[in-house]
Amino acid sequence: MRAVDYLLIATVAGLAAVERKGFLQAMLSRPVALAPLIGLVLGDLPGGLLLGPPLELLWLGAVNMGAALPPHEALGAAAIAGGAVLAGRALGTGVTPPVAVLAVALVAALAPLGRSTDRLIEEWNVRLASRAEALVERNAPRAAMRANLYGLALPFAVSFVLAPVGAALAAWLVPTALRHWPAASAPLAVAWAALGGFAAAAGARAFRAQRGLGLFASATALTAVLGGLLVGAWP
Amino acid sequence: MSGPVRAPPAPAASAGAGRPSTRVPSATLARVFWRCLFLQAAWNRRGMQNLGFAYAIDPALRRLYPDPARRREALRRHLCTFNCHPYTAAAILGGAIHHEERVAAGEEPSGAPREYKQVLQGPLAAVGDSFFWAGLRPMFGVLAALGALALGWPALVAAVLAYNALHLWLRWTLFRAGYRTGDKVVERVAGLHLPTWAGRLRDAGTILAGVAAGLLAVRAAAGWMALPAAAARSAPAEAVAALVAGFAAIPPGTAGAVTLAAAIVGWGALSRGASLLPSAYAAMALGAAAALALSRILGGP
Repeated sequence: MRAVDYLLIATVAGLAAVERKGFLQAMLSRPVALAPLIGLVLGDLPGGLLLGPPLELLWLGAVNMGAALPPHEALGAAAIAGGAVLAGRALGTGVTPPVAVLAVALVAALAPLGRSTDRLIEEWNVRLASRAEALVERNAPRAAMRANLYGLALPFAVSFVLAPVGAALAAWLVPTALRHWPAASAPLAVAWAALGGFAAAAGARAFRAQRGLGLFASATALTAVLGGLLVGAWP
Repeated sequence: MSGPVRAPPAPAASAGAGRPSTRVPSATLARVFWRCLFLQAAWNRRGMQNLGFAYAIDPALRRLYPDPARRREALRRHLCTFNCHPYTAAAILGGAIHHEERVAAGEEPSGAPREYKQVLQGPLAAVGDSFFWAGLRPMFGVLAALGALALGWPALVAAVLAYNALHLWLRWTLFRAGYRTGDKVVERVAGLHLPTWAGRLRDAGTILAGVAAGLLAVRAAAGWMALPAAAARSAPAEAVAALVAGFAAIPPGTAGAVTLAAAIVGWGALSRGASLLPSAYAAMALGAAAALALSRILGGP
């Protein structure tokens, strides 16, 4: 275990939490970008690339509309990717499908937990707004406006703490489990495949398109048949 | 620097007609646009984006109201409750400066910017949510995922860059349109036909998610034979044979077929109101159970 790895996971997760809502919103905190980014900083870009697409599809509908809060997909993705990469490194295999699916199963619950912390942060931010109003009345407008930027601190801090905790859990339990039950690898690889299929369905549903099932099923079947024939995937 | 002219407020807003005598310099407008990227930094349950909006428009107010009392009054009206889509809010921010210039020049009553914000925030939030959050961004999310699956990181980077080029251009265009046209920004936004594009993006995104499901299935099936070697590297020497046999007991097409089955069953479950994460756990458990059952049937370990 290297402390610097956890510091890297914490920092990237914290910055992603800021980018996700408080600043910019340029897709950098979406799982499809964040998981490879975590893989890159930990020295396993292919591992991050394996995790990013299914996680993006799974949480494609996680968007902040109005005052409704979605699950914290960035926190979940950062912890899963960090944990899977560290677990893969401990096993000497890199991120394989069994490692990936166990990391998801262990850490994905951080996403709904992150939604709860988001709600608390929004309550806490009322104090920032009140403070800014009071400062405006006391004729200190610059200090009042700076209060807006203080709002970036808590989302950063929450992900800075929770993401490495989740990653550590996966980095500890996944190698232990796979060393004790190596025969579980084959069914776990199929479980990863199942998660991919489910995630794609969840992603398609997030668009709420009319005739969605027809479009989704046709595209799936066509790609599976043509792609399978092309690479000889089907026995 | 001389202060803006104080004059009795005009009874009606001059929507886009003529330019006021007090103008915000371009550099300040650029600064406001930069600060607009922090609109939701202190999103709160009471005023929502109120503090973010005041923070963003403050450089313009500083220019327009050198008199501290007038600046305070202006900041007060921008600290009222505000909530919009963070991208389309740029149009309202530009339009609010448009009105503040007229308020500073005494051509409009001081309530005009607030009224403008209140009228536009709802409709522009709806347009932004529908076009950006339910259409453009998820569509690019699937595109990036497909790129990563099929071509690797260069395609992923290209998709993210393309999204940001488009989204930042639209944000800037909306800001500029709001500033230049004031109330007429509604017509400019309507001219972009965003709801029509949102519908097309939804269809395209659904199709791309289907392509992703098919691609994941093909990859799962085609990559099956390579998996035992990787997994065996972590297993104790005495367990390697059992591990390899475990993979061998499951026909190579199984993982691909399970991907396809999970996609269809998952769609059905979600359309019946199943929760996302519990359903994902169920998919993983059922996938593993299917593999175990198959290996038992075929006589694996």
